[in-house]
Amino acid sequence: MSTASSQNFALAVRLALRELRGGLSGFYIFIACVVIGTAAIAGVSSVSLMMTESIQSEGRTILGADLRFEVDNRDITDAEREYISSLGKVSGGVNLRTMARTADESDQTLVELRAVDDVYPLFGSLDLSSNLTASAALSEKDGIYGAAVAQIFLDRLSLSLGDRIKVGNAEFELRAIINSEPDALSEGFGFAPRLLISRQGVDEAGLIRPGSIVEYSYRVQFQTGLDVEAVAEEAKLAFPDAGWSVRTSNNAAPSLTSNIERFSQFLTLVGLTALIVGGVGVANAVRAFIDGKRNVIATFKSVGASSGFVVQIYLIQVMLIAIGGILAGLVVGAAIPFAAAGALSAILPISTGAEIYPAALGQAALFGILVAFVFAVAPLGRAGEVPATALFRQQSFSDGKLARWPYLLASGLALALLCLLAVVLAEDRRIAAVFLLGVGGAFLVLIVVGRVVQAIAKRAPTVRSTPLRLAIGNIHRPGALTPSVVLSLGLGLALLVTLAQIDTNLRREISGNLPERAPNFFFVDIQSAEVDGFRTLINEVTSDPDLQMVPMLRGRITALNGGEINEQNVPPEGRWVLRGDRGITYSATIPQNAKLTAGEWWPEDYQGEPLVSFTADEATDLGLGIGDSVSVSVLGRTITAKIANLREVEWESLSINFVMVFSPSTFAGAPHSWLATLNAPGADAEKEGEILRAVTQAFPTITSVRVKEAIEIADRLVGQIGTAIRAAAAIALISSVLVLAGALAAGNRARSHDAVVLKTLGATRKTLISAYSWEYGLIGLATAIFALAFGAVASWYVLNQIMGLPSTFVPEIALTTIIAALIVTIGIGLAGTWRILGQKAAPILREQ
Amino acid sequence: MAKTIVELGAAELTLGSGASSVKVLKGINLSVSEGQSVGIVGPSGSGKSTLLMVIAGLERLDQGTVHVDGSALHELNEDQLAAVRGRAVGIVFQSFHLIPNMTALENVAVPLELAGEKKAFERAAVELEAVGLGGRMSHFPGQLSGGEQQRVAIARALAPNPALIVADEPTGNLDGETGRQVADLLFAKQAERGATLILVTHDESLAARCDRQVSVSSGRIVGDTENDVETAAQVSA
Repeated sequence: MSTASSQNFALAVRLALRELRGGLSGFYIFIACVVIGTAAIAGVSSVSLMMTESIQSEGRTILGADLRFEVDNRDITDAEREYISSLGKVSGGVNLRTMARTADESDQTLVELRAVDDVYPLFGSLDLSSNLTASAALSEKDGIYGAAVAQIFLDRLSLSLGDRIKVGNAEFELRAIINSEPDALSEGFGFAPRLLISRQGVDEAGLIRPGSIVEYSYRVQFQTGLDVEAVAEEAKLAFPDAGWSVRTSNNAAPSLTSNIERFSQFLTLVGLTALIVGGVGVANAVRAFIDGKRNVIATFKSVGASSGFVVQIYLIQVMLIAIGGILAGLVVGAAIPFAAAGALSAILPISTGAEIYPAALGQAALFGILVAFVFAVAPLGRAGEVPATALFRQQSFSDGKLARWPYLLASGLALALLCLLAVVLAEDRRIAAVFLLGVGGAFLVLIVVGRVVQAIAKRAPTVRSTPLRLAIGNIHRPGALTPSVVLSLGLGLALLVTLAQIDTNLRREISGNLPERAPNFFFVDIQSAEVDGFRTLINEVTSDPDLQMVPMLRGRITALNGGEINEQNVPPEGRWVLRGDRGITYSATIPQNAKLTAGEWWPEDYQGEPLVSFTADEATDLGLGIGDSVSVSVLGRTITAKIANLREVEWESLSINFVMVFSPSTFAGAPHSWLATLNAPGADAEKEGEILRAVTQAFPTITSVRVKEAIEIADRLVGQIGTAIRAAAAIALISSVLVLAGALAAGNRARSHDAVVLKTLGATRKTLISAYSWEYGLIGLATAIFALAFGAVASWYVLNQIMGLPSTFVPEIALTTIIAALIVTIGIGLAGTWRILGQKAAPILREQ
Repeated sequence: MAKTIVELGAAELTLGSGASSVKVLKGINLSVSEGQSVGIVGPSGSGKSTLLMVIAGLERLDQGTVHVDGSALHELNEDQLAAVRGRAVGIVFQSFHLIPNMTALENVAVPLELAGEKKAFERAAVELEAVGLGGRMSHFPGQLSGGEQQRVAIARALAPNPALIVADEPTGNLDGETGRQVADLLFAKQAERGATLILVTHDESLAARCDRQVSVSSGRIVGDTENDVETAAQVSA
């Protein structure tokens, strides 16, 4: 039996190869779709692997250490210092945000200040202009400390090397420009230009004061072959209350790595969508192929081939062509990291050595094979249904009928496997599942939309215009282009509209809506002694200011209800609350912009046990409710407070909000700084500059953040990400348009006969062109309307339900989508039809 | 004297190009009067179908003139030719050439719709009734027999009331009995409307039913005779 079936298979392969001699005509769109989808997935995964592997292999340089300890807002204790020193060579540093002013105090800017010691860097090299060493650039010379800065700092303050600047209470000489910091990636994203000074320089400037937001880091180079992971674990166990974050060179830039992985996952899903959209092209091509092979199939049958055998021959043939396309896609995908390496190394300070990534290529190949199979097998099943009598009788067979159940089952099983793989291989499986459900839903809805458009056309009242009447007839007749055009264009267009809506809404929220509600300034690190003077100054320089000041301490949650914290039990969106130090405050009254959702606020003169007010969303994420207890480590002291109430907070208002607000007596006597926001109504850029200058001159250690600047940076970042996402979506749209072109081309082949007959009956070219324009235009319009509706719902879901942001429908996107859909459908449709119109009638009529 | 509906003068046409080019029509002169029926006969490749295509305005002459119902087809562009066809010429093909995705009624209504006829569907229904297909109006071509499809094609050709009906082997794809029925229908309708009929056929008996028989060979008219139609009709019956 098995020998017979293997002989059968061998024969099927032989026949399939013989059949392939007919060439690839009719399969070019099929191949293009497979190539594009496979190349997109292979390329995205390869680039992602290249980046994460580079981060991994250069972990020590990126981290600047084998092991890095970081504590916030307090320096390490002697015992901790002794422990760290026992591990090897140590380099200590400090990071904080502060203001740098020109020597004459006429201008200033926020800087990301980093202070390093003499042994920095332990790994890699600090690249300064004029080949200066760190020590030469930063040390004290003639009574003044040196500083190295980013070029953008010089540009912003119109300074040059050799000039002096003031930071805090000290003056610094600008000695070098920073070309690159070896460990910049592990330092995280900077909102302001870098200012590099020595550790002694920070003390000289008097920047570190009680309540200052400062990050202390200690980098260790192991002297002996210690196991970094084991030491990291040991350090956490040995000093459970240190609250330090210990990072190893194996995981040097965790948030970057995770962002790359998330982004790559998203792009892979978009690539998969391109492949699935291409699948429609695969199905169309296979259907046309089988229709064209009717006589050959009937001949096979008349000489004794079974239905199953015939299907086997053509399945082998189609899959061989698909494999050819997949291989071509893999070649393109494998080349992408080599092309991207140069561009990426300019953005990320890592040496990105591109290579071939078999895992990425394997994943793409697997997706490619599965998609080709899913979409090819059902139309191929129809090959088995061609009767041998087709040779004698001209009749169309099973048009519009579904394939028989074994083929549908095979297609369904392959589809299930495809979805399962896509979800299992994804970083965030929930998002992958939702995404696939969305694509599946869009598919089903598009099929329904196609039917509805046809039903409407069928019931449309008779119109006077002949071309329009012909067009409406074409839309609903059997074999109409409507379903394939709606399906092929709809999916790509819907994806593009969704992403464009999200992107535009996000950017509007950041650059449009936020600044209207946002304050002009945040002021950080205001010392208690400075509060009155600061308030007086603000009242002097601004008219009618709205100055909100709240006390601010830093604290880290150490226990919930007396139990250890296990992040794994907390949903990902709530984990940030548990990570590191958070700003906390106390208040006798309920904060502005907050609304109690449960419990009651404490009396203004409350003096009892510590109470805390928690934000409602975060409490839900952490599984906390009224009466639960939260332990927080503040300035080395652990305080346990009972949750008295829950608040709802509008974070987008950018006013001062804290997750935890304590009752005032909780921190009685504890040293702390103040945080302020200033709304200066009607203040323009010049006025803001004046306020900034006045505050920085009078209080050099207060850090001022201009909200507009920060928002502009965020806007740029979202813009860059948006461009990348739209580029990916464009790939799906290209597939979409290719499939559309294929569907229209197949339709045109069928309708060239109709056009010629119409011409013999008296139709002019103008009548035919306007009939086809109406037809393509109406279908394109219906598809665009669907894409807009789907995009509006999907983007509303993402923005409103996932991101918690308001979502508005953007009319420009609607208009662009409709115009684009009309141009594409009418353009491609007429381009094919034009050829038909130019054809002479006689030869076609004679051939039949 | 009867009006001349078709007039060809020194008509010449070469098909194909280069080495494979063939001169299909070599100086054809032909004149057909209103109400006449003409059978064009000749061996395969003699040029008779091409001659018919030229008369129908589907093929353009290289040299010479062709006038149909007062229009100089050799001077018209493609769209003007289409307009003449729509108004004055009804065409019946050997392989029917119905539009497969339109119903019988829609197929017959198309030329009327193209001509801007307001009651296209009512008139198409009348034509279909007249060819005995009143019960098949909503059928697609694939659901009709060959004879029925050809009757739809005849209804379509007759619908705009053309002055000229041209038919290329109208019974060629049909069995003997069905072919006879279709031919009867064609001649009956032509006579009823006083239209001119030109048909190309291999079928001697069909050609003999025409008023006049034109023989074509190697692109030239080699015979042009008047038939004794009554005898021919009896023979055919």
